[in-house]
Amino acid sequence: MKLSNSMAYKSAKEMIFGTALKPVKTKRGLILGGGYVIPEIVPHPRPGSEKTIKSLLREFERANEDALERCVIVGIPAIQIENEHVFQMTDNPQWGMEIAAQTAHQLDEYYEKYGLKCSYRSTIADIRKPDQIDMRNSERTDKIFEAFKYSSKYADIISIESLGGKEIFDYSIIRNDVTGLLFGQAVLGGRDMEWLWTNIVDIAKNNNCIPGGDTSCAHANTAMFMAGGFISKDIPQTLAALSRAISVSNTLVAYECGAVGPGKDCAYENPIIKAITGIPISTEGKASACAHMDLCGNLMAAVCDLWSNEAIQYTDMFGGSSSAVFTEILGYDAAALNSAIELGFQKQFQACLINSDRYRSPHSFILCPDNAWAIGKAVVDNNESLYSRARAAALKSGELMFNDPNLQFTAFEKESLTKYIKELEALPDKEDDFIDMCLKKYSKVKGFKPSSYNL
Amino acid sequence: MTQLAVAIDLGTSGFRAQCINISSGEILSTAITTNHPLPGSNIIDHLHFALEYGIETAHNIFIDAVNRLITELCVDTKNIVRLVVCGNPTQLSLFHGTEIKDLAFAGSRKFESMQIEIPDRDAIIIPAESITNLNLLNCDVIIPPSICHHVGADALAMIIQTSMLDKEETSISIDFGTNAEIALFHKGKIITASAAAGPALEGQEISCGVLAIPGAIADVEYSKPYFKLTLLDNDLMPVEGSLVDMSGKSQPVNSNFPKPIGITSTGTIAAMYKAIETGLISLPRICTADKRLHFGNNISFTEEDLAEAGKAIGAIRAGYLTLCKAAGISVEDIHTIYMSGAAGTYVDAKKALQVGMIPPSVKKTYQVGNTSLAMACRLAKNPNDLEFMSSLASKLRDTHYIFASSDIFKKIFILELSYWTEGMPLSMYRNFLKKYSFPALPNADGNPEIIRTVKRDIDDLGLFGLKTIPNIGRIVKRNFDQCTICNVCIDVCPTNALSILSESGSISIILNEALCRGVSCKKCEYACSIKIMTLDSFFKIHFDDKTSEEEI
Amino acid sequence: MKPKSETNKIFTRYDINVEVARQTARKVSEDENLQKVADCIVSGNEDELENLVKSILHIKEPMEIINGGLIAGMKEVSRLWELGVYFLPQVILSSDSMIAGIKLCEQKLGRPMEKKAKVVTHTAEGDIHDIGQVIVNALLNAAGYEVINLGADVPVDDVIEACRIHKPIIVTGTALMTTTMTAFPKIAFGLKQINLNIPFICGGGAVNEEFVTSFDLGIWGKEASQAPALAEDALNGLSWLEMRTKWNG
Repeated sequence: MKLSNSMAYKSAKEMIFGTALKPVKTKRGLILGGGYVIPEIVPHPRPGSEKTIKSLLREFERANEDALERCVIVGIPAIQIENEHVFQMTDNPQWGMEIAAQTAHQLDEYYEKYGLKCSYRSTIADIRKPDQIDMRNSERTDKIFEAFKYSSKYADIISIESLGGKEIFDYSIIRNDVTGLLFGQAVLGGRDMEWLWTNIVDIAKNNNCIPGGDTSCAHANTAMFMAGGFISKDIPQTLAALSRAISVSNTLVAYECGAVGPGKDCAYENPIIKAITGIPISTEGKASACAHMDLCGNLMAAVCDLWSNEAIQYTDMFGGSSSAVFTEILGYDAAALNSAIELGFQKQFQACLINSDRYRSPHSFILCPDNAWAIGKAVVDNNESLYSRARAAALKSGELMFNDPNLQFTAFEKESLTKYIKELEALPDKEDDFIDMCLKKYSKVKGFKPSSYNL
Repeated sequence: MTQLAVAIDLGTSGFRAQCINISSGEILSTAITTNHPLPGSNIIDHLHFALEYGIETAHNIFIDAVNRLITELCVDTKNIVRLVVCGNPTQLSLFHGTEIKDLAFAGSRKFESMQIEIPDRDAIIIPAESITNLNLLNCDVIIPPSICHHVGADALAMIIQTSMLDKEETSISIDFGTNAEIALFHKGKIITASAAAGPALEGQEISCGVLAIPGAIADVEYSKPYFKLTLLDNDLMPVEGSLVDMSGKSQPVNSNFPKPIGITSTGTIAAMYKAIETGLISLPRICTADKRLHFGNNISFTEEDLAEAGKAIGAIRAGYLTLCKAAGISVEDIHTIYMSGAAGTYVDAKKALQVGMIPPSVKKTYQVGNTSLAMACRLAKNPNDLEFMSSLASKLRDTHYIFASSDIFKKIFILELSYWTEGMPLSMYRNFLKKYSFPALPNADGNPEIIRTVKRDIDDLGLFGLKTIPNIGRIVKRNFDQCTICNVCIDVCPTNALSILSESGSISIILNEALCRGVSCKKCEYACSIKIMTLDSFFKIHFDDKTSEEEI
Repeated sequence: MKPKSETNKIFTRYDINVEVARQTARKVSEDENLQKVADCIVSGNEDELENLVKSILHIKEPMEIINGGLIAGMKEVSRLWELGVYFLPQVILSSDSMIAGIKLCEQKLGRPMEKKAKVVTHTAEGDIHDIGQVIVNALLNAAGYEVINLGADVPVDDVIEACRIHKPIIVTGTALMTTTMTAFPKIAFGLKQINLNIPFICGGGAVNEEFVTSFDLGIWGKEASQAPALAEDALNGLSWLEMRTKWNG
């Protein structure tokens, strides 16, 4: 695998919502990143519905149907539906396939009947538990690949939220240990993704399916949720921001292995990924408040190609089912963005989105297009190893945060960030040295098996 | 017969002796102690002991220690014709067995009420026989002069041995000891003073602190991501130690290297500087999981240690700033610094500069070793120099400066306290200096030329090398038959100086006198559940009632 | 497009606001002049304060200036110091400024103002190292006590006599030279003899907890910074024994 050594975008100024340098064309002709923003609705089945394949099929059928129907009702020109596998759909790959087949059929119907441009992403569940099994050699690992094979027969796009390095990440995040984040995310997560995605891309090719992308949701989003907002103090916002910068190193691996996008919605690192690769990305912000809070609700739309809601559990609301309601919300968001494009105000609109959140938190700050591009540049300029580029990304984001006087820190945040940066600067330059150090340091972490990562 | 002379530096934290062949000038052997023989860790403790148990008792313990040192020099005592001592007025007075009350107290009201007269501490040469219990015959004992109260022969030694007065340039000499002697020389005038830095710079009252002895950590360098230790070998020369993770997150790497047994003040300064630089210390806190810095082998450095060391450094910085103000010069005017004492010799001058121990703008630093011992050796070879020393002493008598009663020093020292123990930023420290119209503290970006005139604090260990005496004080066993062996006294003793022995129905407590903190501590006495433990039982009977005492 | 630095109409950084509000001196008076007095105390600007107090003494009652400006400002300084925002040298400057201001007001008043209570401080006989006492004095002044400062090298009898005359709520003793610490039990003994059971706070490098608690009345003061809280306890009527139980052991 060759690590990226150049930026797809020459500058952040060229980056805009709706357009990616390398758009992706789906089965029914819908182009992602081809000039307009497409809503991506993610309905989620209610607990209990997964008990039998029958009840689960019914649940998805209703949720998807409601979304598609609402598109027609309010006039949304295009939609992507994502179904994230619940455990049973991957554990019984047959289930995943049946649901994919049913969804594809629903999409075909709406395409044929109304001309609704639509596509379907099936996201396989990573049911491997890093602290319990050998990541590369277990029954569960086999089932994941089987699920990919089955689902890719019907889906436009396949994706996964991979869990490599999660055991070290979880151990480190509660200890505020930035070294552990680097090791868990970049070194282990990146290695796991390389192995995983080499296989996924092959499967996708065989079934004429699009290998979408991956995310550091298991790591950087955990950090982001723990950091919370302006009240919670479990971990510093600045550590979450560093975890985000580090996550670029592993998430990028999927694309280096042949994934073509669109990137997964929950990958808040996607603006940086887009700057480096030029692939279309899905992002989420205010409309994902149903799933979790964030401090970058508008900003995340600044360079998006698909605009998502993360996940909404299927339920009744005053305005219809949650699936329909959120489709409508996303549809109007996309309509506003697309209007700006049509009017030629896209840069102005983008400025509004950015200014809404740029200085709201350290995390949102580093995801602004200019900063995202700069961090991406640090990544490609330090491409000796997964580790070196992750460390460079973290150091760069620290530098950016410190150098903009408009970004305000509480004393706690500032002190924490200073400490992390000193710790990062003190680390070895060579990945081999770093791995040696970490293998010693984390040898006693429960369930950590270097062999899972071929170390 | 070869005529021999013995030179001894009577330091507050330990004694250092050398034997010299008078005719050839050659150094034959060296012996040092790892402690001071009297209980306590500073001169006030020693004085307090002498007040409580009598000057004679203190003097006898002193002379016992001197006798032991002479024995360890391994030469025929019959050939010793001259003994020269050097040190601060307290040590020289206790050695001589003369008045110390003027040193033990301060303040005119106390002096009046106790009718304390300040004795002359001029140079004298007396026969060894006139000093009780000194095991030397037909030998002259030379005691050099003091400048005044608290500024003694050791300060003179420093001024003379550095030759600072022979050059035109503005210079400062600092002896980095428990009492930091400071001499500022500017345009032909010299001001001397003594700052009560405390024993931290001698490696004491630091939980794992030791003097410059074999196995001690003398330096710490950053070798990312670890810290590289430098230890002292058996000849007190620096050798490579292991790589350690000061944060304590991982064990030392490469454990084939010798293990540290403690940390010297120079090691402390290096560790502090490197920890501040790498963010492990954010004053006044140590930012590691257990709030300690780790060096392996259970050697660590605590936040209390940081405060102690900080105050010691602070006293010195407040000292030189005060003298600059007194001399009407700015800190930048100081061109050269002479650093003496073990700490002054071994410390990495650049690190010392960074933590604030030396004026940050000096152009040259000389690290000159133990000038007190060097002066004693010089007098041993050349007793006529005593006259020169005396004339200098009388010349300097008018220009000494007393920090304790100086408002300038007090104001600056409060800034130091705030900097080291409250975490006041240095920028605010500087603003206060400006507000007070005191000399400004320059930025620590100087890059002075570093000249080491010696290879260790005692430059030449002699033909027969170095002997280290770990237990210079007496170890005394005393019967306490009512003792219930509740062990409280053992537990509260901050220096592990006590142990209990129960044999054939008889219970004794054993005290290592040199480790004992003395009368100012007495934690064992206060803690004793049946109030039978007293320090008196060890020290009062020491000489009065020899029959009931057993020395081990 | 250059990002806007003014964002308060777009979002509110409650985390920063709370911190800033905690860490800056609060407004203490609606009156412009009194607020200016308080500001001078907060910044420790003695010269400016004296000029200001002199000028507004023409229009305001001295006690109003003392309570509404000088003491109110000092309370903010003490609060900020407890938060770790202010440092000791700043507290001393502010305390000195407040005393200078009060002195001016007292001149106009024609009598000394009434303080919370009296405290007697001293440094042991035979010791001139009084930095600890300097800090204690400043902090007690800052906390509104009338400090009877006996200075350094104070004979035992002088301390007892001062307590007899002033009847302070606490008496403090500082010693650096251990040779001088024996004066403390003598003072405690003398006070008990004349039935003055005043809490006697002893501190400084020379004394340890075991020594100070070995004689009646003695309470070991670990840090000079504890002085105001100790005085507060005595003011609230705690006996020396109750204070010892609370602060020592």
